[in-house]
Amino acid sequence: MPMVLDHEKDDSLLRVRKRLSNSGRSMVKPLIALLVVVVAAVGTALFLLHRNGRNSPSTSPAPFPNLNGKPVIISEGWAKGDLSAKTVLVEFGDFQCPSCSGARLKVSGVLAKYGKGLKVVFKQYPMDGIHRNAMLAALAAEAAGRQFKFWEMHDLLFSRQREWSDIPDVTTFFLKYAADLQMDVERFRMDMLDNDLRNKIFRDMLEGQVAQVRSVPTFFLNGSLLQSVKSDTEFEEIIAQAIKSAQ
Amino acid sequence: MKRVVMISGILLPAAFAGIVDSSYVTLHSAQGFVIPCGFAGGCEQVLNSPFSRIFGIPIAWLGLSFYVTVAATSLFALFGFEKALRFSFAAAVPAFAFTGYLVFVQAYVLGAYCDYCLLSAILVSLILGLHLLAKPWLAK
Repeated sequence: MPMVLDHEKDDSLLRVRKRLSNSGRSMVKPLIALLVVVVAAVGTALFLLHRNGRNSPSTSPAPFPNLNGKPVIISEGWAKGDLSAKTVLVEFGDFQCPSCSGARLKVSGVLAKYGKGLKVVFKQYPMDGIHRNAMLAALAAEAAGRQFKFWEMHDLLFSRQREWSDIPDVTTFFLKYAADLQMDVERFRMDMLDNDLRNKIFRDMLEGQVAQVRSVPTFFLNGSLLQSVKSDTEFEEIIAQAIKSAQ
Repeated sequence: MKRVVMISGILLPAAFAGIVDSSYVTLHSAQGFVIPCGFAGGCEQVLNSPFSRIFGIPIAWLGLSFYVTVAATSLFALFGFEKALRFSFAAAVPAFAFTGYLVFVQAYVLGAYCDYCLLSAILVSLILGLHLLAKPWLAK
């Protein structure tokens, strides 16, 4: 068995310690640099997000016939605007989807501008695979509809979306909203459990699936899929053209 | 040594752009703004589709972790840990395959393209391409 002297052991220990401390020191620099890079990149993203949140994108409108796709049934659904209008905009939406919340403002803007000549229909398309409370929110809106408050609940759900989106016991929030809208809360609670309302939502979803809705919000203008719309300006332009053509 | 600096010097800006891109999409989802989509026009359709998550994890998060890995390995390589680039190469191969799948989904399933996803596809291809080009140099 080889003999190891005490001073040799000390030397090797010193060498290991030195190596470790050297590598430790040199690893600090890249880690600090990484932190700087990540902070700078996320800061840039935050800056861009803030800038785009304030200013809506402005790209030049595309020529009118940007409408292609499969026909969609538009006979039923929650409607507002000019109910006898020939131009009908159908939205398949999900109350938990952030873009649908943004789309609500876009649609309201268009409706305020072209109120006469445009009918807007909302159809339920809760994507409960990715949005845990979407189906319950859809039921809340339908239950509110039984008390003639669908659009009020629709607006409330979207405007307070961040408040309820990730709550496990979300029904409590919806009952509070019902109370805020001065509804009969007990009736609202019972309606939310009603299978007829659930089936109504499923019918909307089935209709969406037939029309090949794959994401939300999806819009159909006069039965044709409205796709690849690059900006709110273009969206408005397409609808304005459709109203003009219908007159 | 100079070659490593050159490769890392290209990888790092690509990773930086990737972090900006993926964190922008991640932050957008959290803030609830309508995402601007000036080029491809289908961002909302793509980012709100079931394909935007895998096993419940947003794909933007996966992208973010990939780009942070590439940034980290490039920085380590720049500071003398040249072998660190092997990690980003090992990450770039599955990232490229997954990117291919995502582009396929956009083209043939959703029928809509998202600017941010396309930018990421370009960056991932650039990162993998660079590793493949640099592989013989680095092996020396």
